Amino acid sequence: MTMTFHSVRRRGLFIGRLLCAVAAIFCSVNVFAADESKIDFVVQIKPLLDTHCLSCHDNDDPQSDFKVASLGSMKVGGLRGPAVVPGDPEASWLLKSLVGTDDLPRMPHEQEPLTADEIALITTWIKQGAEGPEGEIAASEYKSDHWAFQPIARPAAPSVTQPNWLRNPIDAFVMARLDEAKIAPAPDADLSTLIRRVSLDLTGLPPSPQELDDFLNDHSPDAYERLVDRLLASPQYGERQARFWLDAARYADSNGFTIDAERSIWKYRDWVIGAFNRDLPFDRFTIEQIAGDMLPDPSIDQLIATGFHRNTLVNQEGGTDPEQFRVDAVVDRVNTTGTVFLGLTLGCAQCHSHKFDPISQREYYQLYDIFNHGKDVNTVEPTVAVPTPKQAAQLESLKTDLAAAEAPLAVHDAEFIKGLPAWEAEMAAAVQQDPAWQPLDVIEAKGEKGALITKQAEFQLHVDFSAPNNDTYIVTADTPVKEITAVRLEALTHPDLPMNGPGRADNGNFVMTEFEVDAAPVATPDQVQPIKLSHAVADHAQEGFPVTAALDGKSDSGWAINVKSGSLNVNREAVFFPETPIVGENGHRLVIRMRHDSSSPKYLIGRFRLSVSNAPAEGLSLPTAAREILKIAADERTDEQKNQLAEIYKATDKEREPLASRVAELMRQIEALNNAIPTTLVMEEIQQRRESYIQIRGDFLRKGAAVTGGVPTLFPQIETEREIPNRLDFAKWLVDGRNPLTARVTVNRYWQQFFGIGLVDTDNDFGTQGSTPTHAKLLDWLADEFQSTGWGIKQMHRLIVTSATYRQSSRVRPELEEIDPANKLLARQNRIRMEAEILRDVSLEASGLLATELGGKGVFPPQPEGIYIVTQVKKAWPESTGADRYRRGLYTFFWRSSPYPMLPTFDAPDGNTACTRRSRSNTPLQALTMANDRTFFEFAQGLAARVLKEGPTYDEGRLQYAYRAVLSREPTADEQTLLLGFLQRQEESFAATPDEAKTVAPTNVPQEVNLVKAAAWTAVSRVLLNLDELMTRE
Amino acid sequence: MKLPLHLIADQFARRERTRRHFFNDCAVGLGSLGLAGLLSNGALLNAATPVGGDDPRSTNPLAPLKGHFPAKAKRVIYLFMAGGPSQLELFDNKPKLQELDGQVIPESYVKNKRFAFLKADAKLLGTKRTFQKWGEAGTEISTLLPNIASLADDIAVVRSMKTDVFNHGPAKMFTNTGSPRFGRPSMGAWVTYGIGSESNSLPGFVVLHSGPRGPRGGTPLWGSGFLPSTYQGVPFLNAADPILNLSNPQGIDDERQSDFIDTVSALNNERLKALGDPEIATRIATYEMAYRMQSSAPELMDLAGEPKHVLESYNADPSTPSFGRNCLLARRLIEKGVRFVQLYHTDWDHHGNPGTNLQDSLDDRCKEVDGPAAALVRDLKQRGLLEDTLVVWGGEFGRTPQGEPRDVPGRDHHIEAYSIWMAGGGIKGGQTIGTTDEIGYYSVEDQVHVHDLQATILHLLGLDHLQLTYRFQGRDFRLTDVAGKVVNKLLA
Repeated sequence: MTMTFHSVRRRGLFIGRLLCAVAAIFCSVNVFAADESKIDFVVQIKPLLDTHCLSCHDNDDPQSDFKVASLGSMKVGGLRGPAVVPGDPEASWLLKSLVGTDDLPRMPHEQEPLTADEIALITTWIKQGAEGPEGEIAASEYKSDHWAFQPIARPAAPSVTQPNWLRNPIDAFVMARLDEAKIAPAPDADLSTLIRRVSLDLTGLPPSPQELDDFLNDHSPDAYERLVDRLLASPQYGERQARFWLDAARYADSNGFTIDAERSIWKYRDWVIGAFNRDLPFDRFTIEQIAGDMLPDPSIDQLIATGFHRNTLVNQEGGTDPEQFRVDAVVDRVNTTGTVFLGLTLGCAQCHSHKFDPISQREYYQLYDIFNHGKDVNTVEPTVAVPTPKQAAQLESLKTDLAAAEAPLAVHDAEFIKGLPAWEAEMAAAVQQDPAWQPLDVIEAKGEKGALITKQAEFQLHVDFSAPNNDTYIVTADTPVKEITAVRLEALTHPDLPMNGPGRADNGNFVMTEFEVDAAPVATPDQVQPIKLSHAVADHAQEGFPVTAALDGKSDSGWAINVKSGSLNVNREAVFFPETPIVGENGHRLVIRMRHDSSSPKYLIGRFRLSVSNAPAEGLSLPTAAREILKIAADERTDEQKNQLAEIYKATDKEREPLASRVAELMRQIEALNNAIPTTLVMEEIQQRRESYIQIRGDFLRKGAAVTGGVPTLFPQIETEREIPNRLDFAKWLVDGRNPLTARVTVNRYWQQFFGIGLVDTDNDFGTQGSTPTHAKLLDWLADEFQSTGWGIKQMHRLIVTSATYRQSSRVRPELEEIDPANKLLARQNRIRMEAEILRDVSLEASGLLATELGGKGVFPPQPEGIYIVTQVKKAWPESTGADRYRRGLYTFFWRSSPYPMLPTFDAPDGNTACTRRSRSNTPLQALTMANDRTFFEFAQGLAARVLKEGPTYDEGRLQYAYRAVLSREPTADEQTLLLGFLQRQEESFAATPDEAKTVAPTNVPQEVNLVKAAAWTAVSRVLLNLDELMTRE
Repeated sequence: MKLPLHLIADQFARRERTRRHFFNDCAVGLGSLGLAGLLSNGALLNAATPVGGDDPRSTNPLAPLKGHFPAKAKRVIYLFMAGGPSQLELFDNKPKLQELDGQVIPESYVKNKRFAFLKADAKLLGTKRTFQKWGEAGTEISTLLPNIASLADDIAVVRSMKTDVFNHGPAKMFTNTGSPRFGRPSMGAWVTYGIGSESNSLPGFVVLHSGPRGPRGGTPLWGSGFLPSTYQGVPFLNAADPILNLSNPQGIDDERQSDFIDTVSALNNERLKALGDPEIATRIATYEMAYRMQSSAPELMDLAGEPKHVLESYNADPSTPSFGRNCLLARRLIEKGVRFVQLYHTDWDHHGNPGTNLQDSLDDRCKEVDGPAAALVRDLKQRGLLEDTLVVWGGEFGRTPQGEPRDVPGRDHHIEAYSIWMAGGGIKGGQTIGTTDEIGYYSVEDQVHVHDLQATILHLLGLDHLQLTYRFQGRDFRLTDVAGKVVNKLLA
């Protein structure tokens, strides 16, 4: 056997033949293993492993996640699975690697191999059951003394030099550190700064001039606390707080990637707003979002909450492998959970064991298994419909009506179908000769709303994927056919269409709501007249969507082609008959309109061909497909063909119409109602669990060892009543009191919100590579307070914003530049440039235009033209009118591939991965946006109108009013001089150009204010809305 | 010595660290006259921003910095052929493939491979195009690209490119950001983050676009990922305003705008004096820069001053958006100090449908691109700019040796081997790098992976791809992910 092994190696036949070699060894070992006595692990095996393996496979940084330190860890094995399978040497990776088989390099890597005797010894030991003494069996556990992984203990508040300064325990921890550095805290911010600060932080809106006055005039000792309570109770609090969370949840209104179609998940956004407003405790907030669907008898709200992890992307590009993107989504869920709740960079362990934190690749895929059983496979589904109570009742009643209407129709159909054989026989005789169709060679084909329709071979027309919703195709063609008896529309499949089409809906369906033909003599092509179409036939029509519905002049009914069984993605055709043939000497100019006005806006035809015929209409009434079937002998037709014929036969049933139209009408109503009921993406667990494997180097095609759900050994273990913990167990574990991270990470984020930077400035890395907390005891005290008071979010926010620490002035303290340049000791507040959405909100509120409606579908405020020139698919942007133009920034519809430009310009995240802290850049493009964007110019006009209407009638007074409305303070004398000078220059300038004054001035100003004055005030307002102070929370 | 990139780690941290006084250290020019009077010492640093100094980025995150070592190329023009041009029709002549035309591809090639649309039993497709040897180098290039081919002695053709992903969006992301997933900074963003820009009136990273639609993948292709948004590419629009919001609002003329900017700056300056936060100084500088952009960007787009023969050589009509016009604009942009210009020309996805095939569609694309791309290289050369301007031409992947079973000849996406070419800025022209097997399926010599290309581009710019990093979520990220080797054969 020794010979076998070495001779094979010498011949260099490694991979393929080694299997035989291994087998040979195993066999040969068996031969003499019988008379071997029991092998002693400690004496005979362990020294071998220590000598040859331990240097690379120790506990600290084991290669391939494989540790030889204990018997337990060897049984668990590395990435590929158990290294030692008791009694089964062939399944043991340890032996395979010592020999070098499969795609494994021979171990020890690039060292002398073990001798054949040594390998035989190990083989025998495994064969004997791979036993060892008790003390060797425990799998090694990671231990860490890193601060963030230790249990949270509640420190006592320290004593300080100036107890008078303290307003709550937070301040004691802060002052204790200031004391150490011999620094006094900054004075309180002045009252107007304070109300502006806390209003912006809690609600994202500045105080109104009235609120400002009320606060300045309220001299009661608890005036500030009552202000805070009012702000916490306002609905705008939820909007402001939701924005932070939506960043973390990577919320957006589209699917991402190339196609980036719209998705409906705004109910989740509204759920987050509502959760903050009703002060849902953070533990429930967590559980419902991670696993609301797995709670017993979940409410619809709890289902909506699971949208948190449905904000992953869906790739609808042709030719994609759905499994690849499903895996990507699961990976994203693991990583996002790590970042958001645990402040851990789990993503590192996707491809290799974490270099810095004690998380192995195996443990990563244990977490992966937790999230690996969702029903979504690169799909928008599953979703849940969220009807209003009224909609739910309507739907119920319509369904009852439908059942009542279907019953008599079924009776009628059963009777009528008896005539099918006779009809088939009659028709079979009639189809022996094919009618001639003349395809239309199109001069022009276009979409009324801009669909790009291109001519293809064989007279086919292809509709580009950028087709706008509900477009109408207009096709112009000349035909030499003198007498047109019918027009045929073929809807054609094509690989570029969703599911091959022939429609552009996600499933390949379409609804053509109207088909219209205009004609003119070819000599006078401009004088087209509408042609009355009297009837139509199709080779197939979806129940409730007969082809005749394309002739009824109604925009809510039409021809569609879904099927009850089989594939809908096949060619279909419809033939339309003019009441009388279209006759003309030299042929005709035809203009054909195909309308798609259905309540399902994407249901457009994707590829088609139009033809005309001059054959007698009777011979054309059978679609080509039916003719082909009828040519087949009756007993040779497939079931599908038989069904198709039956369907066409049924369409000839003139008496069916009244009964069927009632059914169709009800189905349309149900469809319209269903379309009006918002849906939202939710998590749903599949019944049959998927197998989860370690993915070698993070490649989902390279499967390693199988794993099941669990959490890293570093942490307190997960509690479960099941064999394998599931997503709900995991959600509960996240907010288990023993979890050392979730509370710390969460309160640190709140601190970051209110101070611009966290106590741990690496808010998403609490691992060993992250920063240590500036105030470790304060962080732990807050975390404990958060947990022990029931995870109340409002309570935690109130605690922070009522502290003396929070109330300090933000003025830079030059004397501290050397001692504490980064203000780590919190000897003052920080100035924070506000987020994109809040800049919009503040400007809107200042201008008096803000619409305060809460929640609802995304809106489309005006955006600069031309932004879609650089995206593949032109995105719908139906500019909002009325109040929706002036909604808060978080309601702006968010296309992942082409966000509303102002948002990324001011560092809003792209919604592709979790963002827990936005960067704050300061760029010329921001200046261009604030200065020139028509949205902001509109706000400046709004502000001017407001000042001129609400303010005093003299300019100094107006300026003071404007300052209070925009910046919550009075202007200084210098500022007043500067701006009044500017106002005067602008007035002089506009006086010379009345037309421009008219363009710039707001429209709704008091009569006594002339245009020039109004225009100059727009100019002043524009200055105020561009100040650094407007963009900054002091 | 390591580049002081940590200085720009993030706006906030920088602000905390930087407490030097605005008037002495403001690195960005404050050009507007109105403001001058407000500054007590009148020390305006106009025009150029300094290279070197201890923290030139405190108020200008795009201030030019020195690289890790001397640069061969100062700027990049990247001609991105979106959709994946067919190397087998353009740069990689395979007589054997023509011999085997119509035969099923041997299983050994396609075992365990995944394609977007093809089946494993697809048939090989020999090219219908003809190749010639060009220049002293004798580089074999298709007669579809006679102008580019005539530069054979200036360009280096790489026939052994390799990428990892076969769908358009992810593959473009991979070429641009080093990762097929969202969230990583693009090459142009890394470059401007690393060495800034020499323009003080235009963005440092500009994206131009031609073709029927935007490239698949969209804005993340030139995004800044986790880098500050300062470094993201600015797409110039084929519209009256090349940059969003570049024009004054209606009714605001230049004088009013100038007064507006000055007044905003003056008030911000009051605030700066009161609070001492240098971030306010940066804000003032950005308004000044924005104001300069308002005049410099339209000037840039105005091709009226370009001589007729130049316009003709680029096949550029001043008023019609086209690849040719964009090539000319690219030259004008780099002349103004812009660091990284990327041109996307779409519609190279030639699967074999009417409008997207290797017949007329390929003819059309080549006609659109060949003349202008060659004119650009020649023009740069003539102006002495080619020696320190890197020009790259290529797509996100290539196309399969197999044909697709469609109406007209076409090929599927191919990631194992495809061709690009490079010229200028430190590239050794007149050579061909890499060879593929006899049917052009795999690279068999000198494979150049996308990460290698990225490492090489950074190297030419004086940047070590291993050192140009940014810490995000606990990891030091880089453009080349965990791979990348500089392709030394490409270097002059």
